Amino acid sequence: MKNKGLGEFEELVLLAVCILKGEAYGINVKKEVEKHSGRSVLLGAVHITLYRLQDKGLLTSEMGGNTEKRGDRRKRLFEITTEGMKQLEAAQDVRQKMWSLIPQLNSGQ
Amino acid sequence: MFSKKGHKPPRLADWLVSNLIGDEYLEEFFGDLQEIYEDRLASKSRAYAWCMYWVDALHLLFGFTSFKLFKTQNNTIMLKSMFIIAWRNAIRQKQFTVLNLLGLTIGISISLTIGLYVYNESNFDEFLTEKDRIYRVNQPDIWNEWTEMSSTTGPNVATALRAEIAEFEEVTRILVMGNQFTRYSAESTKAKTFKELRFHLAEENFFKVFDYEFLQGNPATALAAPMNLVVTETTAKRYFGTTDALGKSIEVKDWDGSWKTYVVTAVLADLPSQSHLQFDMLASLTSNQEQMDYHSWKWIWTAFSTYVLVNEGADIDALTDKLQTIPPKYAPPTTERIFNQSYEEFTAGNPWKLELQPVTDIYLGVSPSQNAFGPVGNAQVVQIFAAIGVVILLLSCINFINLSTARSANRAKEVGVRKVLGSQRGTLVRQFVFESVLFVAIGTLLALVVVNSALNWFNIVAERELSLIPWLSQPSFLLILLLFVLGLGILSGGYPAFYLSSFKPIAVIKGQLSKGNKGKSFRNALVVFQFTISICLIICSLFVQKQLRYASTIDLGLTEENLLQIHNIEQFGFNSEPIKTALSGLAAVSEIGKSFGIPPNVGSGDRYRSTEPNAPVLQLSNLRVDEDYLDVIDVSFLSGRNFDIERPADKYRVILNEEAIKLLGWNAEDAIGRSIAVASGNEDEFKVIGVVKDFNFQSTKTGILPLILLHHGNDRVWDYGAGLSYYTLRLKPSAVQTSDNLRVLINDSEAILKGIDQSIPFEFSFMDQQFEDSFRNEQRMGAVLNFFTLMAMVIACLGLFGLAAYSAEQRTKELSIRKVLGAKTSQLTLLFSTGFIKLVGLSILVSVPLAYWLVNIWLEGFAYRTPIQVGVFALAALISLLIAIFTTGYQSLYVASKNPVDTLKSE
Repeated sequence: MKNKGLGEFEELVLLAVCILKGEAYGINVKKEVEKHSGRSVLLGAVHITLYRLQDKGLLTSEMGGNTEKRGDRRKRLFEITTEGMKQLEAAQDVRQKMWSLIPQLNSGQ
Repeated sequence: MFSKKGHKPPRLADWLVSNLIGDEYLEEFFGDLQEIYEDRLASKSRAYAWCMYWVDALHLLFGFTSFKLFKTQNNTIMLKSMFIIAWRNAIRQKQFTVLNLLGLTIGISISLTIGLYVYNESNFDEFLTEKDRIYRVNQPDIWNEWTEMSSTTGPNVATALRAEIAEFEEVTRILVMGNQFTRYSAESTKAKTFKELRFHLAEENFFKVFDYEFLQGNPATALAAPMNLVVTETTAKRYFGTTDALGKSIEVKDWDGSWKTYVVTAVLADLPSQSHLQFDMLASLTSNQEQMDYHSWKWIWTAFSTYVLVNEGADIDALTDKLQTIPPKYAPPTTERIFNQSYEEFTAGNPWKLELQPVTDIYLGVSPSQNAFGPVGNAQVVQIFAAIGVVILLLSCINFINLSTARSANRAKEVGVRKVLGSQRGTLVRQFVFESVLFVAIGTLLALVVVNSALNWFNIVAERELSLIPWLSQPSFLLILLLFVLGLGILSGGYPAFYLSSFKPIAVIKGQLSKGNKGKSFRNALVVFQFTISICLIICSLFVQKQLRYASTIDLGLTEENLLQIHNIEQFGFNSEPIKTALSGLAAVSEIGKSFGIPPNVGSGDRYRSTEPNAPVLQLSNLRVDEDYLDVIDVSFLSGRNFDIERPADKYRVILNEEAIKLLGWNAEDAIGRSIAVASGNEDEFKVIGVVKDFNFQSTKTGILPLILLHHGNDRVWDYGAGLSYYTLRLKPSAVQTSDNLRVLINDSEAILKGIDQSIPFEFSFMDQQFEDSFRNEQRMGAVLNFFTLMAMVIACLGLFGLAAYSAEQRTKELSIRKVLGAKTSQLTLLFSTGFIKLVGLSILVSVPLAYWLVNIWLEGFAYRTPIQVGVFALAALISLLIAIFTTGYQSLYVASKNPVDTLKSE
């Protein structure tokens, strides 16, 4: 499992958590992913992914920050772990490396 | 709980989420759901928000369900406590528990078994890859009433279809060959001989339409050349001891007694039992090329079944219309050359229509009712069984609901106490629903065990190969079981759960509640329903038994006892006189005669007419007999005489039965000396020398058809020399009193025949047994119906017993007070029972007309019907009343004889 790398949606969710920095919980993450990817995402999908990433050790979470809008319930706030950061960077590296190898782009310079 | 502003999100979704998802997630999820709901309310419509709430909730459910039903805050403890309470209640009321489980298990077992049976019957030929494109071509039964359809057609039908219709990808024929004698000799061993009953000829492209599983050989070439033979796995093992049979040869006896050698080109896996085509051997049609060349233009050699594979997307209705142009174009040569009649004369206004029947409809199809190549199902029986299955399941569910609701009323106090101690209503509901779901689940599991072990028995009786095990790995089957358990559990637990948990604790504990009286009329209605069904079943099964007995006692017009029939005589060639002489030498044999068919299986027939001018053509069954046969089976003559061995001219004379002369418009006296001829242009006239009283030569399910008896030596009728022949031996009753006598007789007969030709299999039958066997289906159905009736009655009684017990408990005090005030035990018993007896009486009133209607429908299928007598209805009513009295009687006596002191002192 560990070397499996990140799925595309997982990557988006991880990035959203990074962007939101301490404010990342289900709905926020959903909105963030929707905003950048331009597609609509189901809340459940976000939750499932968040928990899966947490199980993989790429995210940690704690409860906090209740608001009236939520009927006074707390949110579960997610943070990225160092391992999560590493995987994100690794994914980014792979892409960069592969992009640089596409012939058309190189010759266009 | 929720923010006050706006519309509330769906409660049911919340309930599901809170019950099915782990608690650790709930706060967050509900928060998120609520927040996004508010957002949506603000920006979109209420309905949208509401729908999306459901979508999100369900999505979360799918993602996070731990599938632990009824989870609560400290769920293991709670679950344990629910179990304990359920267990204690079950133990405290052992009687109810046992009754409940028993009724439920019986009901589910029976309906499950029936379900398997019905599923089996309605899914024939579903294994064929091209099942949606395969059709059989049917035509009217030109040999009898043209209104009936026949599954067999002449050889020219396929040829015509190939030439005329472009929409068929394949057209293929299969030819029934009847019994074939075969032998196989391996090197250095004695030849093995067999009689093959399921040997057919098929065309090269047969396997393009019917893609059976091949173990060996190539489907494309297996039937490509003459003398190719395809065998099934079991057959290969029977001959060769192995399935490795390619290239081995099997000899088949030809009509002239010579042996033709076939070479095995393919071995098939045994055919699925759910196939309407069944065979052990399939030879290439070209093996019979000589006969095919000679007859292939004919439309009256109706021994073929023609199948077509239609092109994808073809319009079947349009195709069927197109087919109707074929017979007028291709059949006239047949009618003209063979019958000397024009097409119009031959059909006499009946349309010679060709019909396309989907292959998956063949087995249960009502018309045509015959299939020359395999089993035919009985749609009526399947429907009756399906109805019984549903009804019995319904009965046991009703029982369960009835008993559960009655029982729960006893727990009113428990509910009160629990409420006082702080139980939420939800907890109580959960407890009740949990208990009844648990009950249903246990009942279902027990039923699975019962069905699994009882299926063997059912398979023997119904002659099927049903099995439960493969179903247990089918998700859809398991889902249905789960839905059933939850459905029945929630339904039967739900009513008492919500009703009871709504009690005000103070009222309950004070005893101000009229316990369980609510819903009494509902329960009574259910009891009436149960008994109506049971009494109906009793009446029906009594009539089935009566009809079966009746059919076996009607006077057949011949003496069917003590007649031993020896088969395969045709295999000995034309001159069978030595056999006759040898057999008549046996001490136990008093008379012996030869015939070319044996009742009740005389099936052949032809078209005849009287030789008078303008006489109509008649379809007569025909039976060839020797001079002695009619005396052997003890048929009596109305007029004239039997064939006489002293008069050689009798060879071309005939005897008719009563029905035949009636149809000819003659009477017994003036029939003698008139003549009759085969209506096929062949002008040979046969003089009638006798008229026999009608006797049943077919099953008593049908009436007696017109019959012509031909002399065994009559070589001017086409079927001379063809067909099967038999010797029938009249046994001296005194000589065959014990089964040992019989065994000796049969061994002696076998020795005689084997002494003449070792290679011919010895087969025999008794005529009375064969008449009985013709009712085997009905008898089997009768046996199963009896069993189901018994079970339905048991279920209904369990229900009544349970209710009586419950009512007894409820009314103990009332009856005790009555007793104190002077009522006698007998009066109390009567008072207590009357209520129940009234219910059964009402059921009788409802069920009698219903049963009368059903029995009438069933009896219509028989030629000889047992009269519908009032006595049977009275008997059924009496039986059910007695059972009801017996069931409630114990309870009422028990209650009525209680000492009032014991029951009244506690208050």
